[in-house]
Amino acid sequence: MGKLKAGFYSLTGCQGEYLTILGMEDVLLDLLSLVDIAEFKLASSKEYDGKVDIAFVEGSVSTERDLEYIKRIRENSGILVALGDCAVWGGIQASTTGQDWKELMRSVYKTESNLYGFLGEHKGVSEVVPVDYEIQGCPIEGKEFARVLMDLVRDVKPELPDYPVCIECKVREIPCLIVERALPCLGPITVAGCDARCPSYNTVCIGCRGPIRDEANVSGELEMLLRKGYDRERILDLMSLFGARYKDLRSLIEGGKS
Amino acid sequence: MREVVVEHLARVEGHGDIEVVIEGDAVKRAVLRIYEGPRFFERILIGKSYYEVPDITARICSICPDPYQVVSSRAIEKAMGIRVDKQVEALRELQLIADVIHSHALHLFFLALPDFLGYTDAIRMATQYPDTVKLGLKVKRAGNAIKEVITGRTVHGVVTKPGGYTKVPRAEDLERLSEQLKSSIDGAREAIRVFSSLKMPEYALDDNLYIAVDPGEHYGYSGDHLLVSDGTRHPVENYMHLTNEVTVEHSSAKHSSYKGSSFMTGALARLLLNEKKLYGEAKESYESLRDRVDPRNPFSNNIAQAIELLYSVQRAVDIIDGLLDEGIKDELMVEVKPKAGEGIAVVEAPRGLLYHHYKLDDEGRVVFANLVTPTAQNAANMDKYLRIAVRNLKDLSDDELKFKLEMLVRAYDPCISCSVHLTRIRV
Repeated sequence: MGKLKAGFYSLTGCQGEYLTILGMEDVLLDLLSLVDIAEFKLASSKEYDGKVDIAFVEGSVSTERDLEYIKRIRENSGILVALGDCAVWGGIQASTTGQDWKELMRSVYKTESNLYGFLGEHKGVSEVVPVDYEIQGCPIEGKEFARVLMDLVRDVKPELPDYPVCIECKVREIPCLIVERALPCLGPITVAGCDARCPSYNTVCIGCRGPIRDEANVSGELEMLLRKGYDRERILDLMSLFGARYKDLRSLIEGGKS
Repeated sequence: MREVVVEHLARVEGHGDIEVVIEGDAVKRAVLRIYEGPRFFERILIGKSYYEVPDITARICSICPDPYQVVSSRAIEKAMGIRVDKQVEALRELQLIADVIHSHALHLFFLALPDFLGYTDAIRMATQYPDTVKLGLKVKRAGNAIKEVITGRTVHGVVTKPGGYTKVPRAEDLERLSEQLKSSIDGAREAIRVFSSLKMPEYALDDNLYIAVDPGEHYGYSGDHLLVSDGTRHPVENYMHLTNEVTVEHSSAKHSSYKGSSFMTGALARLLLNEKKLYGEAKESYESLRDRVDPRNPFSNNIAQAIELLYSVQRAVDIIDGLLDEGIKDELMVEVKPKAGEGIAVVEAPRGLLYHHYKLDDEGRVVFANLVTPTAQNAANMDKYLRIAVRNLKDLSDDELKFKLEMLVRAYDPCISCSVHLTRIRV
């Protein structure tokens, strides 16, 4: 059997997922040789627009161009894998969700005309087309990508974490930043996989891996931090940085406004 | 009328097209059109605590998150009147150097070289030139290893804050890093060997203007003054006069000018303005290659990057060895007492000058943010040289013309994600 054909596509974002992959220098050539690379604009000028077996997509769906592109990618791919917080949750730019786009254009670009075909919000890929797997993170963990890629080429269903960063703090015996130091750590709502990197570097989890899909208890985290003396608006603002489109968080934000 | 469009430029960071219109003998249009989606970073920053700013601005760019984090931290410290000590300064300089090493290695071996050797990418190039690609990967890895040791990961590190670092690297990790850098220097030498053996194209030549930071005693990537190739020197607080951003209709990145002229920032600018501050092997290499670094040719930027790659590896070893000699102190961050103020700072990202300007309220929250990025500064200069190139190459077929224009844009090593977010349209 020949190699599977894979495409690496980018929507709106910083390309941090592909930079993370290109930063795995020790294994890069072996890893990428597992597939036949059909398209990878950041690294290659090879042109291809036929079908691929696996499509990796990073970036948020933010412009009309993104929307057309992702629909075409979906049509032409077997398995679609969303890579990184932008593709999964709309990314840091989605923290503006709920704000009037004309106000955003005015505040940054001094105009209310829609210059770039902006859709009005930054969406995750799964809001627009069906997605088969989501690898979370801002950026993704290179090892997690490698594991998923190896599973897919062996036709094994990849397993991805569905538990919080807190579990990794417990395993590493890192004292809880909320309990011990009353810091506004987002570990309890954030999907694991980073080995509790930020707490291990003496700083709070800022939620960059995004909420645990369908499982993150954002009202529990809100209650806990309110008891520690933080105000509601500040906590919701922190949680919105990488998780603004998580439905329970939207309800809290929109509920608070009414 | 003939129209030539390179859609979605490959092997550059971000999304852009090249558009050319030729009418008879006249070049009507030759521009880099940028269509990256708007991400509203200046708006996202408003109201955020000073502590969160470096984590947010890092997300603008994955090739140069470290310059973003360092310059954010410095601008905020200036706004609050905070001084950090020598160890923090040394670690920050290392962070900037790490970004230069990984980014230049990426650009030279992976983005630029395939054009010269006739490949679509370095992965396919590796079948014929395995040693070159492996050496490139080795030196790139060394740059990323610095980031891992100091900041916790290669992209969007987690420890850089106003006031210092949340965790300081251990001496044994720095010792290992020093050894790794020393053994990776072959990769930098390979970049110099390969690029100095190639003929740099000469289809876009003209006098150019350069701006770079004044790094002080040694060649480097930060300082509080800017040098311009007209012989003038300016404090960073005057950055608005050095950038003069205006909006153009074809690009979502603003265009810069200095006294009415476009200019170039990046490796070539730094090398031309700070050549006397090089030392060691990098200095010798530069001296032997000086006639290959033509200030009239933007393709010289490739050679300048190769020389900087060698210098940066060598300089990183010296800084690490200096830190180890002094004894690395496991010190806490400077205590930050938020207060209102205004701060402007600049660093050299791999592809050029990056200015951050903030105003904070008395609780240390952002009330104003302005970020000026290297690729936005280079945008007008790229258009200038694209026009010259089209004038010289207009008799070529569409495919040949496209290829040569792509090569020219790649020589600037543009980072389009960075350039776009700050556009302001004057209406």
